[in-house]
Amino acid sequence: MTKKWSLMLVFVLALTLVLSACGDKKESNNSNNSNNSNSNQESGLIKASDLSKNPDQAKNRKDTFIIGMTDPKGIFNPLFMETAYDFYVVYSTFDTLITYKADGSYENSLADKVEVSEDNLTYTYTLKDAKFVDGTPVTSKDYLFTWKAILDPSYDGDIDGLSANIVGAKEYREGTASEISGIKIIDDRKFSVTVSEYTALTPVDLGFVFIMPEGYYGKDYKQGSLESIKALNSEPVGSGQFKVTSYKAGQEIVLEANEDYFRGAPSIKNLIFKTTTDSTNLAMLQSGETDMNNIVVSEDNVEALKAMGFMDINILPNNGYGYVAFNHDHEILSDVKVRQALTYGLNRAEIVEGIYGPYADVINIPQSKVSWAYTEEDINTFDFDTEKAKSLLDEAGWKVGADGIREKDGKKLKLNFSATANNPVVDALLPIMTLNYKELGIDLTAETLEFNAIMDKKTKGDYDMFFAAWGLTPDPDNTIFISDGAQNDFGYSNPEVDKLMAEGKKELDVEKRKAIYKKMYQLINEDAVFIYMYQRTNMEAYNARAQGFDISPYKDFPFSLYQVQLEQ
Amino acid sequence: MKQYIIRRLLQMIPTLIGISIIIFTISALVPGDYITARDNPNMTAERAAELRSIYGLDKPEYQRYFIWAGNMLVGNFGTSLQHKLPVTEVIGEYVWNSFIIAFFAMILSWTIAVIAGVFSAKFQYSLLDKLITLAVFICMSLPSFFIGLLLIKWFALDLKLLPVGGMTTAGLKGGTWTYIWDVVEHSILPIVVLTMLSIGGLARYFRTSMLEVIRQDYIRTARAKGLKERTVIFKHAFRNAMIPAITLLGFELPGLFGGAMIMEQIFAWPGIGHVYLNSINMRDYPFMLGFTIFLALLTLLGNLLADVLYGIADPRIRLK
Repeated sequence: MTKKWSLMLVFVLALTLVLSACGDKKESNNSNNSNNSNSNQESGLIKASDLSKNPDQAKNRKDTFIIGMTDPKGIFNPLFMETAYDFYVVYSTFDTLITYKADGSYENSLADKVEVSEDNLTYTYTLKDAKFVDGTPVTSKDYLFTWKAILDPSYDGDIDGLSANIVGAKEYREGTASEISGIKIIDDRKFSVTVSEYTALTPVDLGFVFIMPEGYYGKDYKQGSLESIKALNSEPVGSGQFKVTSYKAGQEIVLEANEDYFRGAPSIKNLIFKTTTDSTNLAMLQSGETDMNNIVVSEDNVEALKAMGFMDINILPNNGYGYVAFNHDHEILSDVKVRQALTYGLNRAEIVEGIYGPYADVINIPQSKVSWAYTEEDINTFDFDTEKAKSLLDEAGWKVGADGIREKDGKKLKLNFSATANNPVVDALLPIMTLNYKELGIDLTAETLEFNAIMDKKTKGDYDMFFAAWGLTPDPDNTIFISDGAQNDFGYSNPEVDKLMAEGKKELDVEKRKAIYKKMYQLINEDAVFIYMYQRTNMEAYNARAQGFDISPYKDFPFSLYQVQLEQ
Repeated sequence: MKQYIIRRLLQMIPTLIGISIIIFTISALVPGDYITARDNPNMTAERAAELRSIYGLDKPEYQRYFIWAGNMLVGNFGTSLQHKLPVTEVIGEYVWNSFIIAFFAMILSWTIAVIAGVFSAKFQYSLLDKLITLAVFICMSLPSFFIGLLLIKWFALDLKLLPVGGMTTAGLKGGTWTYIWDVVEHSILPIVVLTMLSIGGLARYFRTSMLEVIRQDYIRTARAKGLKERTVIFKHAFRNAMIPAITLLGFELPGLFGGAMIMEQIFAWPGIGHVYLNSINMRDYPFMLGFTIFLALLTLLGNLLADVLYGIADPRIRLK
């Protein structure tokens, strides 16, 4: 037996060495990040340093580009797609009337001309000369058909068709009309859309619609049943840059260039989306099995990509933010002074640095730094300040009790944090929060729950605080901060904010909207609706043999695939 | 025998009903549904209510159970919310990929485990026995993600012998044989890791079972008759030691189709394990319930199969 044990010991020791060698690579790179008001986010394009290191497997693929991504659900249909990965395929195979530019504004795509009536209620579109990949031309009828499908009573996709306020939309959804009266076809390439009420978002609601050929999808369509359209989910036909030639669930989607593409035939002749996973997507880039992948931003990963030498790395601010939500109906948290104190008293810079290193910024308003609506004017940065937090709590009437916990009218300052299980942000946040708040004299308890359970509590309003993150639309209009807004599960209400949000939605001039939203963000900032945490970054890494991408937080990479050139 | 099988099959019906009630109740007790799991920041409350009524999620639980169970009775597993496809079709798309690696890993691990078990029992406490035991314990205790990544680093990145992951090379052109060879290349590493994981328990089991049999009187008799040691071990002892293994074989049946979540994640293998896990996280009830029932059915069939085979292999057991 002793021999066996000694052998075992040797193996265990050998293993520990291997494991610790792996861990050593992660040296700390903590620069002085105490000042959180300035942008310290590292972003932008890092060019490849040495193309000669390119693996043969990638170099020999002259006309083929392979993009690695998490497997999509196989719903390559603009009406029903739900995951970002299905979006990528749809973006590569369909077109809209207008499309986003890199800066978040929009330009004409399939639309040749857009005319808006005096009263802003009627939009008249003229189509460019374009063809679907089955050879039929893109016509006004196809646009009408797409809207019919979106507004169908049985439609269970993600597009909220009724919010566009098209005249006759409601009647069609309810089945009392068999046509949408607001969409009028003038001729094959010209049509007009009338809305009952306009907002700043109307051009996008009407224009950013992926046009689907009626001849292909509409063959067996009858109002009330979309089954025949769903049956074609994995065999898309659009007017886009590429056409899908084969799909193997969980493995790959093979696409071929659309030679008749209205912007000109793409230079990439074969495009393949291949399934990869987080644990090996770097290894696949290195071996040349893939050419491109979205990689989780971390110092280790950036270093590994730089070391490969043949990768262009594009680090971009993510269109979204992380926040700690307060329940504004809670008797303690309804007091703005308490919420401000909780923000001052939390070392956000340390938390964000701990999770993302230099690749995220602490934020103070719920808007992306690259948005036109973003402002830093008169925005309180809530720099970490325990003393300030303490005095705010004193002002709010919470005095330190005998046991060190603050109390007011005999009630203890006790808060509960609903923590998401297996969330790296929460794992970093919770210890610091507990420590920081203990210093303030707050009794913070935490319960760990699964994500869905927390979302359930959020809907029911049964929580004190929780952490979550969400995405931003390019437009600042939202229903999170207005009283009784659809996403306002927080109980926040400020009549001033309601008024500004409504004004901003109705205003069409961007400069005037900027001023309106600036005021709104100042209010939201001062009210400490959430503890605004961070805006992180995304990273697209691609083999430098492909050049010509035009990527921004508002313009995902598939939109510029047609202009990408592969080095020969 | 026929009567026995029919009776057992009939007994499965109430069992399955019980199982369906239990898994449906558990899934109904879990907070959240497909709409909350999506957490779409742009979805209005009206739209969410509309979707719930389209999906039938607005009905009371008992009603939902009867609708679901009624559909299952006529073979309609429902439509997966995530894939927008019939559940059976989604299972069909992924399950065979899982089956391929699980099947070959099973054959390999059983073969190796039987050999290792028999020899370490035959030479109990010898150096060989100790080495086998050590190797088996190492295989068993190494975390699969660690050994998987290590093998990828060695064989795919350093030696460039095998691909990193996936089931086929993207954009591969060529005939059926090129395709089959490509799949074989891609499946080597996952099969090796899966084999390593399951070998440990099996080898220990066979060793114990073999040791038990070797001590029986009839083995002593066989030796006393002057039979060759090889005949004693492989004919008299081995066959009897293998009988309890039939039970284990029955339990392998659901495992063949269940998928391996961690393995699929590391090797980007398009199996059903991660689809199943995803359906749980996303509250894709039709798929989650449908696939769980499918696995439960396989488990019951596996049990039946084991009992029947047991009856055939061991004449001491009479099935009535």
